[in-house]
Amino acid sequence: MPPIAQYLFNGLVTGGILALPSVAFSLLWKLLRFPNFAVGTYLTIGAFAAFAVNHGLGWRIEWAWLWAFGVTGAVAWVADRVAFRPLRDRRPFALAIASIGVAFVLENGVRFIWGNDYRSYDVPVTRALVWHGLRVGREQLAILGVAVALMLLVQGFLDRTRLGIAMRASADNPLLARVKGLPTERIIGLATLGGGALAGGAGVFLGLDTTIDPLLGTGLIIAVFAAAILGGIGSAPGALLGALVVGVMEEVSTLVIPPTYKSAVGFAVILIMLLLRPQGLAGARS
Amino acid sequence: MTGYLTAIATLVGIRALLALGLNVQWGLTGLVNLGVVAFFAIGAYTAGLLAVAGVVWPLAWSAALVISGLAGAGLALAALRLREDYLAIVTLGFGEVLRLFLLNEAWLTRGANGITGIPRPLHGWFPVHYDLFYLGLVALAVALVYLVLERVRRSPFGRVLRAIREDETVAAVAGKTVVRFKVQAFVIGAVVAGLAGVFFGHYLAYIEPNMFLPQETLFVWLALILGGSGNNRGAILGAVLLLGLLEGSRFAKDLIPFLTGVRLAAAQQMLVGALLVALMIRRPEGLLPER
Repeated sequence: MPPIAQYLFNGLVTGGILALPSVAFSLLWKLLRFPNFAVGTYLTIGAFAAFAVNHGLGWRIEWAWLWAFGVTGAVAWVADRVAFRPLRDRRPFALAIASIGVAFVLENGVRFIWGNDYRSYDVPVTRALVWHGLRVGREQLAILGVAVALMLLVQGFLDRTRLGIAMRASADNPLLARVKGLPTERIIGLATLGGGALAGGAGVFLGLDTTIDPLLGTGLIIAVFAAAILGGIGSAPGALLGALVVGVMEEVSTLVIPPTYKSAVGFAVILIMLLLRPQGLAGARS
Repeated sequence: MTGYLTAIATLVGIRALLALGLNVQWGLTGLVNLGVVAFFAIGAYTAGLLAVAGVVWPLAWSAALVISGLAGAGLALAALRLREDYLAIVTLGFGEVLRLFLLNEAWLTRGANGITGIPRPLHGWFPVHYDLFYLGLVALAVALVYLVLERVRRSPFGRVLRAIREDETVAAVAGKTVVRFKVQAFVIGAVVAGLAGVFFGHYLAYIEPNMFLPQETLFVWLALILGGSGNNRGAILGAVLLLGLLEGSRFAKDLIPFLTGVRLAAAQQMLVGALLVALMIRRPEGLLPER
């Protein structure tokens, strides 16, 4: 049996991938005031966008990743324009339902084109590094590195740039932000674009780490939700931390429960949080 | 042809029950249940497992309804006591975890093989036209549930539910214990979905976990929103139209050559998802608006 450190490391990689959509999901929830269930499907879109150019056109995976990053951002932006924008002033739950509809359209669009088969990227085979019995894949290291870098960029953007500060202001108090003359719709558009791109990039990572199929991201929405709740809705560092916790818990859980129940870990986390600390680990008491 | 129509009508009746149940939750009270299929599955599996174990049907059916209701109460209490915006994910997650459970706990659920040979209730009475008799049974159930839910809707209890949906602060100020009403509404919906599951399992005589996929929940949502949420007749009308849509698009397969089975199913679900979004935007009150 591999050492416990192996589970922890694999969990960190899973958590690093999970962090990207979780941060997007959490910030969009705070900004738009509804949980967007389509965020999971954005990962699928990203994974297949990269697959199309990686297999179809023979692009290197790095370029395919960048392409997926852009394509998914655009898809998320269009979805927001078409489906969510007309519903902005409705009850939040109406938007949550609409996001389920969007998720089904996107997921089945992918299924319509590529079918239900499992696929994988065309990447050069590399040998894993072994250190004291700990196997570290080079792809895993790259994934973790890029994920951390992206997280730092997001945080820097939110803290330091005018647009990032405006985005946080809109999330905190949309009415006040609008009164103060912030271009709310443009901010939402940008956040959707960025959030979709992050999720799409994560989809390629997930496809590299596992396999690609139309259900790739859909099943992840529960873990994403759990990470966002753990970190407190609207907190980017919180969502990152939450994602790492959920990722590590998912991997370590396989030591005690059958691996088939891995995806139930997120659900368990949500229930525990609901019962013990509904405001999140980092969130303030409301 | 009669056989086909009977089968279609029976399935419409079962979907109508699901839509009626969701109408209590979303239509009247504004609760988002994304795990309709879970309660459907609980009803089907409980009744099916007990029936193949030799338990008489009235007992098996009652047990199925009780367990559906208890599951609904547990989930609703967990989510609604504190954060209502978590109800959607808790119900969605419950549906997924339940399906994992059905697949993996073969000692109880028979896993991926499913339950075969679920006996048909009262088959001895109607050995010849049993399908027609069963359709009558389903129709009777729809009629009864409709009448009961209409009473519920018009009752003081129903008024409180609608008040909560419109503005729960006002309802709370008026002295209503909002959480208790919400949990009760959720449980009623869960029990009705469980009843639909009971009819489904006995009708097919065979159930397996992959019959209870998330898209079933989406179909029920579309039926309700299309027919008119808040309106019990709308829920039934929506179920009829939905089946028309799903069956109708099946004929498209013969017309369009490159449409394989997978593609047809995918196109169908795209249509259902898009229609749901379009209705939410253009006609949120549905075909039969709430009166």
